[in-house]
Amino acid sequence: MEEGSEVFRGLADPTRRALLDSLFNRDGQTLNELCEKFPEMTRFGVMKHLSVLEGAGLVVTARQGRTKRHYLNPVPIEQVANRWISKYAARFTSALVALNEQVTTDQETTTRRTETA
Amino acid sequence: MSLPAHIYQIYIAATPEQVWAAITESEWIRRYFHTTEFVEPPKQGKPYLTVGVDGRPAVDGFIEEMQPPTAGRPGRFVQTWHTRYDPELEREPPSRVEWTVQNVGERLTLVRLVHDNLEQSPLTWENVKDGWVWILNSMKTLLETGQPLPRVRYDDAVADAVRS
Repeated sequence: MEEGSEVFRGLADPTRRALLDSLFNRDGQTLNELCEKFPEMTRFGVMKHLSVLEGAGLVVTARQGRTKRHYLNPVPIEQVANRWISKYAARFTSALVALNEQVTTDQETTTRRTETA
Repeated sequence: MSLPAHIYQIYIAATPEQVWAAITESEWIRRYFHTTEFVEPPKQGKPYLTVGVDGRPAVDGFIEEMQPPTAGRPGRFVQTWHTRYDPELEREPPSRVEWTVQNVGERLTLVRLVHDNLEQSPLTWENVKDGWVWILNSMKTLLETGQPLPRVRYDDAVADAVRS
């Protein structure tokens, strides 16, 4: 699947966008809390939408004792946006190579850069 | 974890050791973190201070935990977070930032950032919530392509708009 497809799929549904809105207003809600906000939907329906959002990386979960909380992760949204609003994607290579060498050998390395205008 | 808390995460095509270096070593931090860096290498149980290129304090606090990633265990870097770059934010008490660096595949690392203890620091969160998105994406871009995200130069954009 093309990179970002899951993000677009996650955002494509109005109910899922409403779930993200709810987390944006109050982050860290439990499944019960989210279900109360969407009384027209079954618990199973809310869970299904949350799992699509989690698969897209738009929602991340953390356990706090026996409670599972849901958090809005806006990072992938900027990633798909950068595809069109930034030139950085075309630039390539080398700091990773440099960092790798620094980590493993701690020797000085040169940074190669491919500039694209 | 204490509420209110926020969690951001990102997948980076790099080893956990490389990501760990990018989070903890000034050499790398200054390239994606608004050109700030640690004054001294961070150490578990010690206070820390980061500064901008002009030497002015950016953030200070305490390193609560610093466990590099190993074969069977994710890396953890936990710092208290007290803003110094803005007088209004400086008046808020320290919050807490927790980085987890976990190997999830061949040269694939999951970075999870938890920012919590924000009960008394709402302005701090307002100030950093979009910044963290940019920082994480810029760190990913730096590690994967060799270049951090370019900063938008608003002055130039406005000048262009006025000319045209």
